[in-house]
Amino acid sequence: MVKRKVAKVLAFRYKILAGILIILAGGLVLLPKYEKHEGIKPEQLLSNVISPERYISTDILADKLINQDPSYLLIDVRDKESYHTYTLPNAINIPLAKLLDEDSERYLNQDEYDVVLFSNDNFYADQAWILCNRLDYQNLHVLKGGINQWFNTVINPPKPLENMPTEQFELYSFRKAASMYFGVAYPEQFKAVKKPKKKIVKKIITVKKKKKAPAEGGC
Amino acid sequence: MKELEKTKRISIASTLFILVVLIAVLAFERPKHMYKVNSVNTLEKLTSNDYFISLNDVNIENDILIDVRNQFEYEKGHLKNALNIYAPEILSDTNSTIFEELKERDKTIVLYGANPDEVNAPFMLLYQLGYTRVKILAVENSYVQNKLITNAVDIEKSVANVNAFIDESIKKATQSLKKKVVVRKKPRKKIITVKKKKKAPAEGGC
Amino acid sequence: MGPLIPNGIIPSDWDSIIAILIGIAFGFVLEASGFSSSRKLAGVFYGYDFAVLKVFFTAALVATIGIYYMDYLGYLDVGQLYVHPTFLWGAIIGGIIMGIGFVAGGFCPGTSLCAVAIGKIDAIIYVVGIMIGVFIFSELFFLFEPLYEGAFFGNITLMDSLGVNPYWFIFIFTIIAIVSFVISDIIRKRNKKIFY
Repeated sequence: MVKRKVAKVLAFRYKILAGILIILAGGLVLLPKYEKHEGIKPEQLLSNVISPERYISTDILADKLINQDPSYLLIDVRDKESYHTYTLPNAINIPLAKLLDEDSERYLNQDEYDVVLFSNDNFYADQAWILCNRLDYQNLHVLKGGINQWFNTVINPPKPLENMPTEQFELYSFRKAASMYFGVAYPEQFKAVKKPKKKIVKKIITVKKKKKAPAEGGC
Repeated sequence: MKELEKTKRISIASTLFILVVLIAVLAFERPKHMYKVNSVNTLEKLTSNDYFISLNDVNIENDILIDVRNQFEYEKGHLKNALNIYAPEILSDTNSTIFEELKERDKTIVLYGANPDEVNAPFMLLYQLGYTRVKILAVENSYVQNKLITNAVDIEKSVANVNAFIDESIKKATQSLKKKVVVRKKPRKKIITVKKKKKAPAEGGC
Repeated sequence: MGPLIPNGIIPSDWDSIIAILIGIAFGFVLEASGFSSSRKLAGVFYGYDFAVLKVFFTAALVATIGIYYMDYLGYLDVGQLYVHPTFLWGAIIGGIIMGIGFVAGGFCPGTSLCAVAIGKIDAIIYVVGIMIGVFIFSELFFLFEPLYEGAFFGNITLMDSLGVNPYWFIFIFTIIAIVSFVISDIIRKRNKKIFY
């Protein structure tokens, strides 16, 4: 008896299946639409943004540059003009407006280099970092204080006062040496003047595109 | 009878399929916060640079000042009519309702903190979450003898021309060098012999 | 979250293993639904059996609807899925050749291998034919190259080229599919039943 009833229902099985498909497809049309969630969750972004982990200090960066650490890639997010006036050695210029261009993505979304973003202060660099962090790009850092801080610490280090601890003096001598490395000359320094200013050769940095293994399909 | 057995498979498959769909729909939890502005549009906003506001332009009727510093700092001193929402807590439920309400009332949210850097992150987050009427108050707050001092600041102003400084330093160095030369009559010149790079003439062989 | 492999949830080293597993399942389903019989396959063209049409159309429907639901719910990102690049003339001419082969031989490349597995002689000959075709094609590739690589349109989908909302497109596609099922049923009933 039950079987017969089941059989009766099942006589319509194809119609039922067709109905289900139409309902599901219609559901897609009727579902409320919203802007696609792009990138990591806002909560995650907030906690990333609040933490100061992304900052790298000018002293550390100077040390890395002097030791020619090959794993660091500098990106200048200011406009072209400021980039041509002064920039850090071997920096690449990606103006903030072009941050999300396809060419820029090669430099930002990769896992070979530690990328350091910088601008005059760290305001624009921070903005660039936040945008990239939302898109879940890894290995990005921001130069704390930007070029201004760079100038105040590495290029033109303030002389420590007599009553400061020794660490300050050590830091000063490091910074002074660093500033010499980056082209500043001091009166008491003899050689640097004689030497013709070394033209910093722009290193050509090639970044491999992050492999997004394209799946091959086929019948 | 055989017909029935065949259909059993189909119906089992279809029930499983529907079950999977149902589970997926039920397991779906709509996230509390959704981005409403994508990154490209956000970037456009950032480059337009019209999101700064100076203290004089703040209109009490339309603008709501929000202090993103912590409560301690806020109570020590804050701008007039400012609300306090600590930056790490801007996504909490109560604060979300505040922002939602401000949005409905068409108010402009003006954020400030100890300096514009501090406001940057909350500003960008709020903008991307769809509160498009957000602005940054371009001020710096500091305390002098426990009194809040608010100064307007220029954002991202370059303090010095580094290249010019370097050139200047070289010039100075050379000048002082010349002076030294004048003082010391017979300077023992350090002779730096720069070896000419031998351009090895290609020796032909064989 | 998804797709699993490009997002690194499953390492891409597992590609081949997963491919083999899916391939086995695919082959099993093909054989179980009788697709290793060339008569069943050719039935579409003669109008006495529309199983092929129904199966592949339904599979496409279930997949698209499922994918778009998963996309909507955030389990999968449609934008990250692989879309086969379109070479317009290559696709048209290749399609014609494949169609002719399909009617004449009664297999498509996948089902022919399936039929080889259960030991059908016609399928074995068919596969040998495929191999000869592959050989000729690769030897004369310099002749076919402009056709093979010409008229490149990129990785486009119908939604891109027609500019329609994917959800409406799926809905219309579903209705077209179901209408075609009904029509194919009517045609089948009109035709004389053929036992094979």
